[in-house]
Amino acid sequence: MSNGTAESPFSPSAEKSEILSNNPSAFLSQITGAKVAVKLNSGVEYRGDLQCVDGYMNIALEQTEEYVDGVLKNQYGDVFIRGNNVLYISSI
Amino acid sequence: MADTGADQLDDTIVSEPLDLVRLSLNERVFVKLKGDREIRGRLHAYDSHCNLVLSDVEETVYIMDDEEVDLKTIKKQSEMLFVRGDAVVLISPPTQS
Repeated sequence: MSNGTAESPFSPSAEKSEILSNNPSAFLSQITGAKVAVKLNSGVEYRGDLQCVDGYMNIALEQTEEYVDGVLKNQYGDVFIRGNNVLYISSI
Repeated sequence: MADTGADQLDDTIVSEPLDLVRLSLNERVFVKLKGDREIRGRLHAYDSHCNLVLSDVEETVYIMDDEEVDLKTIKKQSEMLFVRGDAVVLISPPTQS
């Protein structure tokens, strides 16, 4: 074995900050403050700083950019997103 | 000194996303709705369903052709408007464009 540091596919790489969550709620409380990408069911994506999330997946973002088909379309200062529209929340 | 006690009384603390909407009461807001619609108006009331009551509202309806180019936009004005919450996609203080 030439590679001395075997990486399991499930262990976080050393360069990225570790996000250790036992459940989705823990993940959501851990990433508040971080830059996230929120994809909606409609395919529109919003990137911004996650202010807070609640149990319905309602989201509050700051400094948000709106991407439609991968193209930046709009920018907002503060944004509230209704949770039923959310497909995923990803930290970036 | 329990600062958490003061937090509960501070109206500007945002602890949950709907608090962001509360901060916009009586201010002009921009609301994105399902069906390629947007509205701008003064927010008078909201609830946890995102039902909204707005005044001095301008609604913009985007008519799309095969989702490529928007054919035309329709603008409507209302003095007072009630929006059913399930149509709401996002709410934001307006970017004056």
